[in-house]
Amino acid sequence: MMDQHEDPKFDQWLKDVAKSYHTPHPTPRDEIWNRIQGARRNRRVIELRPWLRWAVAAAAVLILGIGIGRWTAHQPVTTVAAADSTTSTQSDLVYQVAATQYLSHTEAFLTSFRADIGSRGSARSARFALQARDLLSTTRLMLDSPAGKDQRLRSLLEDLELVLVQISQLDPSQDGHDTDLIRQGMNQSNVLPKLRSAIPAGPVPVRTEGAL
Amino acid sequence: MDESTLIARVRAGDSAAERALYDAHVDRVYRLAFRLAGDDALAQDFTQETFIRAFDRLGSFRGDAAFSTWLHTITTTVVLNGLRKVKRFRQREADIDDAHDIGVAQRHAEPDLKVRLKQAIDDLPEGYRTVFLMHDVEGYTHEEIGVALGVETGTSKAQLSRARAKLRVALSDFAGEWTA
Repeated sequence: MMDQHEDPKFDQWLKDVAKSYHTPHPTPRDEIWNRIQGARRNRRVIELRPWLRWAVAAAAVLILGIGIGRWTAHQPVTTVAAADSTTSTQSDLVYQVAATQYLSHTEAFLTSFRADIGSRGSARSARFALQARDLLSTTRLMLDSPAGKDQRLRSLLEDLELVLVQISQLDPSQDGHDTDLIRQGMNQSNVLPKLRSAIPAGPVPVRTEGAL
Repeated sequence: MDESTLIARVRAGDSAAERALYDAHVDRVYRLAFRLAGDDALAQDFTQETFIRAFDRLGSFRGDAAFSTWLHTITTTVVLNGLRKVKRFRQREADIDDAHDIGVAQRHAEPDLKVRLKQAIDDLPEGYRTVFLMHDVEGYTHEEIGVALGVETGTSKAQLSRARAKLRVALSDFAGEWTA
């Protein structure tokens, strides 16, 4: 049956002209392959980093602590110990959730920044600079937090700090050269793949719901 | 070496087989990512993420469908989720930008077919656009699209038909070119 919109001449013309839409470059096979290998190496290490193991252990302690607390509720000394443990682990979990959200937000920001480099005007650069300053404050807080004690995460945060400082200092009147340098720096430090490796899979609510 | 043997060797930890499997499929994955994203950096990111997920989950690939079909399901998921994330981020920016920065007011006066075509395709709803690009531009079958997007084949056909109808209206100024 002929669709009411069907027009073979138009369909063929459309197919022909649409080839010019987002015409792909030649596939940079080796470049992508090297990035895949690098990201997988980072992921293996980051997945096993002490901070994550500690967070999982903290969640287990929280559940165990609540169970023991309930079971021994009639014993005053144990109840105090359980309450202390619960307060401590709850704040740790809040920290874990905040860290995941910070990393996700930073990833979205840098992905958008890299995709938009050179495509917009000075207002765009000014906006990126403003957002980078906000994220920079959070990054520095993270560096001073327990996350900063983990060497791998600290290294990632330091890379992020450097990129964010550069973006925050973009001069809207002459940002072409600056943005090229930032892009090169991001590629050389492999900061986006490292960042993605540090973020648990799934959307933010899914990543954090298990902790809450 | 056939593909099922190659996959078995990847599962067994053979890194040369992993590279061979990647080489066999990367062009199509990257092309689709580029068509949908329109940006080399994003296309590379999405291709990278697709293969990382594919290698991580290869154990769950049962071989009921072709490996390429399974891989393109991952590709479309990665690309569409990634683009939504970027779009949300850009939308927040656009909401606070001045109206003239959004730049849609003059598009009907734009005489260049390439620019008008790009605008028309960009304006399609996400589902229509994805099916149109996969079918008419990259040559996927409706069966492949149905599996990749998790929709019925009939839905894919219907979305393609609606996409073409919308594009026909949007490009009506150029009717002389296809009726000639």
